[in-house]
Amino acid sequence: MLEIRNLTKRFGEVEAVKDVSISVPDGAFLVLLGPSGCGKTTLLRILAGLELPTQGQVVFDGQTVSDGDKSWAVDPAKRNSGLVFQSYALWPHMSVRGNVDWPLKVMKMPRAQRAERVKEVLTLLDIAPLADRYPNEISGGQQQRVAIARTIAPKPSVLLFDEPLSNLDAKLRVEMRTELMRLHRATGATTVYVTHDQIEAMTMASHVAVMNQGGVQQFGTPADLIGHPQTAFVATFVGTPPNNMIPVVKNGTGYRVGGRHMSLTPPADECFAMYRAESMTLSEAEGDTTLPMEMVETSAIAGRTMVTGLRDGLRLTAIVDRPPVERIGDTIQFRLPPEPDGWFGCDGGRIG
Amino acid sequence: MADAAISGPGRRVFFRQGTLLKATVLLLLALLIVLPLLRTVLFTLQPDTVKAWPDVLTGRLSTNLFYKPLGNTLTIGVVVAVGCVLLGGFLAWLVVMTNVPFRKTIGVMATLPFMIPSFAAALAWGSLFRNDRVGGQVGWLQGMGLDIPDWLAWGMVPTLIVLILHYFSLAFTVIAAALATVNSDMVEAAQIAGAKGRRILIGIVLPVTTPALVAAASLCFAGAVSNFATPALLGLPVRMQTLSTRLFGMIEVGQVGRGYVIGILLVLISGAFLWAGNRIVSGRRSYATITGKGGRAKRFDLRGARWPLFAVAMTFLLVSTVVPAVVLTASSLAPSSASLFSNWTLHYWLGESDPSFAQGIPGIVYNEDIVRAVTVTLCLGLAVAVTGMIVGLLASYTTARYREGWASAAITQISFLPLLVPGIAFGAAYIAYLGAPIGPFPALYGTFALLVIAATGYLLPFSVQTGRAVIQQVSGELEESARITGAGFVRRLGAITVPLAIRGLTAGGILIFVKIVRDLSLVVLLFTPTMPVLSVLAYRYASEGFGQFANAITVVILFVSVAATLLANRLQRKSQPWLQN
Repeated sequence: MLEIRNLTKRFGEVEAVKDVSISVPDGAFLVLLGPSGCGKTTLLRILAGLELPTQGQVVFDGQTVSDGDKSWAVDPAKRNSGLVFQSYALWPHMSVRGNVDWPLKVMKMPRAQRAERVKEVLTLLDIAPLADRYPNEISGGQQQRVAIARTIAPKPSVLLFDEPLSNLDAKLRVEMRTELMRLHRATGATTVYVTHDQIEAMTMASHVAVMNQGGVQQFGTPADLIGHPQTAFVATFVGTPPNNMIPVVKNGTGYRVGGRHMSLTPPADECFAMYRAESMTLSEAEGDTTLPMEMVETSAIAGRTMVTGLRDGLRLTAIVDRPPVERIGDTIQFRLPPEPDGWFGCDGGRIG
Repeated sequence: MADAAISGPGRRVFFRQGTLLKATVLLLLALLIVLPLLRTVLFTLQPDTVKAWPDVLTGRLSTNLFYKPLGNTLTIGVVVAVGCVLLGGFLAWLVVMTNVPFRKTIGVMATLPFMIPSFAAALAWGSLFRNDRVGGQVGWLQGMGLDIPDWLAWGMVPTLIVLILHYFSLAFTVIAAALATVNSDMVEAAQIAGAKGRRILIGIVLPVTTPALVAAASLCFAGAVSNFATPALLGLPVRMQTLSTRLFGMIEVGQVGRGYVIGILLVLISGAFLWAGNRIVSGRRSYATITGKGGRAKRFDLRGARWPLFAVAMTFLLVSTVVPAVVLTASSLAPSSASLFSNWTLHYWLGESDPSFAQGIPGIVYNEDIVRAVTVTLCLGLAVAVTGMIVGLLASYTTARYREGWASAAITQISFLPLLVPGIAFGAAYIAYLGAPIGPFPALYGTFALLVIAATGYLLPFSVQTGRAVIQQVSGELEESARITGAGFVRRLGAITVPLAIRGLTAGGILIFVKIVRDLSLVVLLFTPTMPVLSVLAYRYASEGFGQFANAITVVILFVSVAATLLANRLQRKSQPWLQN
């Protein structure tokens, strides 16, 4: 059980983390997802014990490890947690073996046991042949594995990852993603994983907390976030491709939807209608629920085609069965389904 | 779950991280720097000494006491700063950015003048250019039958030339380091945009290195205005005073109050200039970043100018390094500097006392004063290298890792304060500070401890600067990852930070060693016959007319400095497998 209670962190005037409360069971894979500067890394550093929260508590397995209200903290080394840094932070003057061995040495583990454990984790991560190399003599992906090996060697019950895959190229990233999930199953450690990549979040997480501007926008399973986004931010940040959000404004007796009159019954005079990319279609001619857009992108995805249109700052994406005949720069008609997949208020909250 | 226990291995966090460290460093800096200076200011405000202020600033003597020396000092500072940036910048550009022949040799030679004491060049100048204006021996050129005019033999012109030839290597080091960070991407992007060599230099390289140019100029300015040896040896005989020679003279004749006032004014003036220099570069981002990638800038092809530029560079370098060394060595062997290269004798080195020779002063090997001074000087250099790097590392570590808060800002400001304080004024302050007993502590005047403490404080700007460069190379995450394993502060320092920084630390220590071994201005007032140091002995012999002994001692200092530097290089080359590719 990992519990975060009303956690707030202020740096001077700036509130980096605002009143965050999250709780996940043992063995969970929690992803903190959000754009850069949303406070997710600060939250992770508080979990690691590198920062003291201003208010609120962090509880690992019934044991309070950080308490901002009482200025009380357990040393980073004594929380039974391990952190993998974004830059890997491998010690350049120690070999791969030395990097994995040193934390165990600091723990005062006997030499024979240490050697055995080092061998074990290097084998687990497929880097045993590299044991005597130095960090600058191995590739980025291998460095990543060393960083992970170093972190799991002391068998922490909580594993923390700070954007671990962001320095890898696309193919390696997919491989490491699978590798990390295998590792998660193998160690059973509760894992907290920070990323700005929603695909990573959706594929790896058992629980996701979407963060923006220091606060948690929504906390739930990946399926929850896709199926029932609670805020406009979540709806447009999560999912591939993300959902479309079209402004709706009352105009006399009717409503203007994305600049055109349509017969809709929104729950508020000014709000946003959410449409999933797969529920939108393209139309040959103008109709009652079509919006003319300039076609700016098309891309083939798994036998279907993703089409993106742009007009007056409004960006719409539809997934269609056949590629459009128009060319990039031409005007095309996006057809909306009769009812949107959700309504959101001007403050971003879901209203229907 | 609601009532999670507060128990187990945790602890209350009384202080924010780093508070303890900041307090320790602040206390150290206060003891080393703030108190001595404060003590000096308070001294001049006592009822019987406060009169020194109007004496110096408005009194009948103020023109001679203050304003004329001030004019000379500022002239020296500005001309030397400009000259050093031009010469140092030119050499740095040649070495880092062009395909001039023997780049590495030029690079090594350009750092050598800094290892040579500034009085070495001044003594060498005397041995060559001295004319008969002030009596005593004449120099070699005069001896060859040339008529050396006064302006070339004494006063401002030789002072400027000697100082530029000394301090340009400081400018070279700073500017070359900055140029080295101009990575090839930047230059190539400009080339792709269609810019040619000169355009790239003016449009890209210069703006990026402006902070370094200003920093180099500031450092050379500060060095030049506080330099004592050169104006004392070349200017004093014709009564050209600078603020630092004035300060020395006042304290020598016992007018301590006036001396301190002049010292304080000198501090304020060089402070104002450095502040102005800082204003120019502040507000800009510092562009120079050390990335892991070894970006090698594409070199400008000098084509036909390669060898001519090489010749120009070598002329300056030979004149500032080899020529003084040769002249000093020859002069330590020649009974008369008028004929430097004839009648050589080893008497000044190996001779026993002989009443018919140099008033019976034995050669330096048999001269007990000098032998003792060698021991004291070497011990002093080693001790200060160690203490300096410890304090410098602590201070720079604290400010680099815990940047927030007034304490860090204060640490940075205070640790750079001695840069504004000329060595002589600093020495004088230490006499005021530790010359008399404080409470249970005995007076330290004339002890080795006083020299070590004063020198540590005096060289703190350099040790902190070196320490900072070293610390910045070790990223914070490397240390945090060690902290997570449970390693304490000392263990992290010992196992992670220091091993990664050892090259920089060694280099810093050697720099400090060389600086103190060849320093004259700080120790000239702290000197006592029981605690002699080589540089002061050399200065005394020179001003008493025993040029050969002075030159022989200077050759010893030269030898020690160069040997130390070579040793440092050797140490640094010791294998560090993680740096080899």
